[in-house]
Amino acid sequence: MVDYLKEYFDFRALLLCLGLVLVGLLSVYSATFDVGAAAAFKKQLVWAGFGLLALFTMAFVPIRTLQRISLPLYIFNLGLLLIVLVIGERVSGSKSWFGLGGASGQPSLGGQPSEFMKVTSVLALAAFLARTSISLTNPKHLLLAVAIVVVPMALILAQPDLGTTIVFFAMLLPVLYWAGAGNFVLAAILAPIIAAAGALFGTLTFLVMLTISGALLYITRQNRFAAAVAFGITLAVGLSVQAVYERLPSYQQKRISTFLNPGSDQKGAGYNVYQSKVAIGSGGFFGKGYLQGTQTQLNFIPEQWTDFIFCVPGEEFGFVGASVVIGLFTGLLLHGIRVAGLSKNKFASAASIGITGVFATHVLINIGMSMGILPVVGIPLPFLSYGGSALVANMAMVGLLMNFYANRKEH
Amino acid sequence: MIHDEAFGSPDRRRTMTIAVLVIFAVLMLRLYQLQLLFHVELDKKSEENSVRALIKDPVRGYIYDRYGRLLVDVGPSYSITLVPNEFERRNARLLSSILQVDSSSLEDRINKAKSYSPFLPARIKRDVDMKTLAAIEENLPVLRGISYQIESKRVYPTAARAPHLFGYRREISDAQLTDAGEYYRPGDLVGVAGLEARYEPSLRGQKGFEFVSVNSKGQIIGGFEDGKRDVTAKEGYDLLLGVDGGLQAFAESLMTNYSGAIVAMDPSGGSILAFVSKPDYDPAIMSGVTPADEWAALQTNPEKPLFNRASLTRYPPGSTFKMVLAAAALQEGIIDEHYRIQCTGGFRFGNRVFKDLHVHGSVNIVEAIQKSCNVFFYQLMLKVGFEKWTEYGRRFGFGQSTNTDTGEETTGLLPSVEYYDSRYGKGKWTQGFLISLAIGQGEVGVSPLQMARYAAALANGGIVYRPHAVEYIRNKETSHIEAVPHDSTLIGLSPHVMELIREGMQRVVHAPGGTGALARIPGVNSAGKTGTAENPHGKDHAWYVGFAPYENPKIAIAVLLENSGFGGTKAAPMAGLVMEKYLYGELKRYQPKAVQKTVAGAASMTPR
Repeated sequence: MVDYLKEYFDFRALLLCLGLVLVGLLSVYSATFDVGAAAAFKKQLVWAGFGLLALFTMAFVPIRTLQRISLPLYIFNLGLLLIVLVIGERVSGSKSWFGLGGASGQPSLGGQPSEFMKVTSVLALAAFLARTSISLTNPKHLLLAVAIVVVPMALILAQPDLGTTIVFFAMLLPVLYWAGAGNFVLAAILAPIIAAAGALFGTLTFLVMLTISGALLYITRQNRFAAAVAFGITLAVGLSVQAVYERLPSYQQKRISTFLNPGSDQKGAGYNVYQSKVAIGSGGFFGKGYLQGTQTQLNFIPEQWTDFIFCVPGEEFGFVGASVVIGLFTGLLLHGIRVAGLSKNKFASAASIGITGVFATHVLINIGMSMGILPVVGIPLPFLSYGGSALVANMAMVGLLMNFYANRKEH
Repeated sequence: MIHDEAFGSPDRRRTMTIAVLVIFAVLMLRLYQLQLLFHVELDKKSEENSVRALIKDPVRGYIYDRYGRLLVDVGPSYSITLVPNEFERRNARLLSSILQVDSSSLEDRINKAKSYSPFLPARIKRDVDMKTLAAIEENLPVLRGISYQIESKRVYPTAARAPHLFGYRREISDAQLTDAGEYYRPGDLVGVAGLEARYEPSLRGQKGFEFVSVNSKGQIIGGFEDGKRDVTAKEGYDLLLGVDGGLQAFAESLMTNYSGAIVAMDPSGGSILAFVSKPDYDPAIMSGVTPADEWAALQTNPEKPLFNRASLTRYPPGSTFKMVLAAAALQEGIIDEHYRIQCTGGFRFGNRVFKDLHVHGSVNIVEAIQKSCNVFFYQLMLKVGFEKWTEYGRRFGFGQSTNTDTGEETTGLLPSVEYYDSRYGKGKWTQGFLISLAIGQGEVGVSPLQMARYAAALANGGIVYRPHAVEYIRNKETSHIEAVPHDSTLIGLSPHVMELIREGMQRVVHAPGGTGALARIPGVNSAGKTGTAENPHGKDHAWYVGFAPYENPKIAIAVLLENSGFGGTKAAPMAGLVMEKYLYGELKRYQPKAVQKTVAGAASMTPR
C-alpha cells in the first residue's frame, strides 16, 4: 500500500513544499506581529489554505487536459495583465494588483496576475515545444517560442516590475536548453542580456560586454547571416537599455546603482542590504531564537515580510535554520530536474524544467540580494515572502510537479 | 523536428543539476561567510545598531470657558521608560531605590511591558520629580535600557476646580487596553471621568514617533534616516465650554463647607454655566499619576469627595416638583386659574391626615405655587390622576437620562402605575401613595442636573434641552471650530398655561408670603420655587430651582443642599447670589442680612 502510494504520489515535493510554507508562516508572523500588522499573518494563513487547494487541484488534473487548456489559459492571463495595466491599483509604485473589495486603496484580497502569468507561460511554452511539428532549428518556431515568454514579459516590464521580468527571461533559457536548443540559440538569447547588463555599468563596460557577446555568437555561429542578425539585436538591446533605465522608477534606478556601488548610499536603498546583512550575520550559528531577532523585531528592514523575509530565519534561526531553508529549496530544484528527466511526456518534462527555472531564479536572486551578492530587484522568496498570489501560484506549480511525477510513465 | 535525442538528454540533465548545485554552493558559502566568519563583527554592528521609536505624546487639548479663559492647561511631566529586553535584572534593586517603588511592583511593571513588547520602551514611572530625574540621569550608563520622556500633565490655572466636571485621567486598565484597539500602550493615561473621559478621542490628539539611533549603552547617538520616518504628534482638540469659569469659581466658593450641588444653565440652548458638587477635591491631585495613598484617601473619605452630587444624587424634589402637577392639570383642562380650594391646613384622605405648614385659606393655582400650598396639590393630584402626572413628569425629562456630556448621571426615578405594579404588585398599593408624590415626596427621585434642566424649561417656555458643557471643539491644526450638536424636545404647554406657572414662580420670590424671598436679586425680577426633600436618615435636604430675569431669562439654576432643612433659608439665597453674579458679572448688592449670614456661614460651617 505504502509502496503503491509512493509510486503514484509525490511525497517528496509535498513535504519540501510544506516545510517551506511552514518556515514562511513562522517568518511572516515574526516580521509582522509587532508592527500592528498581525493581520498580515492571518491573511497569509488563509492564502496558504487556498494554496493547498490549488496544489491538490493541479496535482490531479489530467496532463492531457492541462496541455489542451494551456494556450487558452495563457491568452486569458495575458488579457488580465492588460487590464491591470489599464486599471490596476498602484501598490508601491507599480500597477500589478487587482483590488478585490479593498477599502481606501488597500487591497484586502488582491490578486497579482503576473504571479499566475509565470505558471501559464511555462505551460504554454512547454505545450508549444511538445508539439511534434516544432523544431528549434526553424528560426520561425524559435521566434514563436521566445515570443511566448517575451510578450507577457514586456507587459510586466511596462508595469513596471523589473524583478518579475528577469524571472521570465531566466525561465526561458533552461527550457530551451532542455528542449535541445543548440549553443548558438542560447548564445543569441544570452548575448543581449550580457550587453544590457554591461550598458548599466557605463560605456567602457558596455563595449567590453559587447565584445564578449560578439565573441560568443562568433564561436557558436552556424551561419554568418544569423550571427550578424543576433549581434545587431544585441547592439540594439544594449543601446536601448540606457533609455529603459531612464524610464524606470527612481527607486529601481537607485536599487541598481546602489548595487553597482554599495558604499554610496548607506541610508537609502543600500540601507536595506546593509541591515539585511547585519541581521543575517548577527544570527550566528544557532540564531537569536524565534521572535528574539533584534533587527527583525525592531523593524530595521523596511517591508521585511516581503522581499527581505530571508533575514528572519537567518537572524532568528541562524546558520542552522538558514541552511535548512536553502537545503529545502535545493531539494525542490533537484527534484524538479529529476521529474523532468523521468517524465515520458515532453510537455510535462519541459514544464517541469520551466517550473524549476522559475523557482531557481527566485531563490538565487532573492537570497542573493538578502546576503548582498546580487542587486536588489524586488522579487519575493517563494513560499516564504508575504503575498497571496505568489503563494498560491507557487503551490500550484508544486502541484504540477507532483502531477508530472505521478504520471511520469504516461506518454 | 525537435532534436529528440537532445531533449532532456542525460548530459543536459547533468548540466542542469550542476547548475543547481552551484547555486546551492554559492548561497551556502556566502551564508557561511556572513554567519560564521563575519559573525562577531556583524553581531557587534547589530548591537550598536539599535533604533528606538520614541513615542511623542501629543499635547492634550485645552479646555476654555465661554469667555475664552483657559480653565484646563497642560504642563511638563517626566516619565521614566524601560526597554525590557535591554534592561539587566541585576539593576532592578538600584532602579527601585531611585524610583522609590518596591521591587515586586517594579517586577510587575517590567513583566507587563515585556508581554506587550520586549523591544519597545514602556513607562515604568510617570511624573517623577526633578530629584529622581537627576538620579536617573546620573546612572544612565549603568542602567541599560532606561530612558525618560517628557510628557504633559494637567494644570488648572484658575480658581475653578470643577473636578467632577473636568474629570480626570488614570493609567489605562488591561481591559481598556484590549478594547481600545492599537492606539494605547500600557502606562498611557486615558480619561475615565467627566469631560476628560467623554471627549477623550477629541482631547487626546495623535501620538507621534521619533526614531533615533542608540548605542549599546542605550544612549541616543543621533537621529535616524534624517527623521524621514518620524511622525509628528498631532495636538489634541480644544474644548470650548459654555461654562462661565468665574461663575463656577464663585459658586464653588459659596458651597465651601456645604454638601450638595449647584447646576446653572443657559435656558436658551442648554449650556451648562456652572456645575458644582461638594465636597470635592483638588483636580491637581489627579493631574499626573495619583499616588496610591492619596487615591485611597479620596476613596475612603467619609465625605465622598469623588462622588458627583450634581448628576448622580437622587433625592425627592419636594415642592419644586409642584409645577409638574400644575402643568398637567392646566394643560389637560382639568382646572383653570379660577379654580379655587379652601386650605384648612390639612387634608384627610382615608384614615390619614396630610398636613400643610400653614392655613392658606382660599387659593388658586398661582397662589398655591406662590405659597407652596400642599393641600391644593393633594387634591389636584387626585383630580389629575397618576398617569397624567407621570406623563408630564416624563415630558420635563424626569426618570430618564439627560444625555449630558459631563459624565455619569442617574436617571432618577419617576414612579408610574407600571412601576408600582411591579414593585408592590397589582392592587397592592393605594391612592395614598399619590398624596406624597403630589408634593414631590416619596419615591420620586431627581438629580440636580435634571432639576436645572427643568428650571430652564420653565424659563424658556417649555423647551427641554440636553444639558451640555461643551459648545465647540476646535481643531488646532486647521483652526476649524465645530459646534457640538445638541437636541431638544418640547413639553407642549400652551403659552397661557406657561404664563400661569411662571407667574406663580415669580410670586414665590417677589410677592408677600412667597417662600423664596431670599432669592431676590437687586434690580432684577426673578422666579423660582423652594423645596424640601424629606430625609428619613437626618435633617431634610433643601432645594431651590429658579431663573432670572423673569421677562427674558438668561440663567436657570438648581441648588441642592444636603441636610440643610427648608429650601427657602439657605438654598434660595445661594441661588440668588449665583444668578446675580452671572447677570452683573459681580455682586451688586446691598446684601440683605440673611444673605450676609449665608456667605459668612460658608466660612464657618463644618461639613457634614
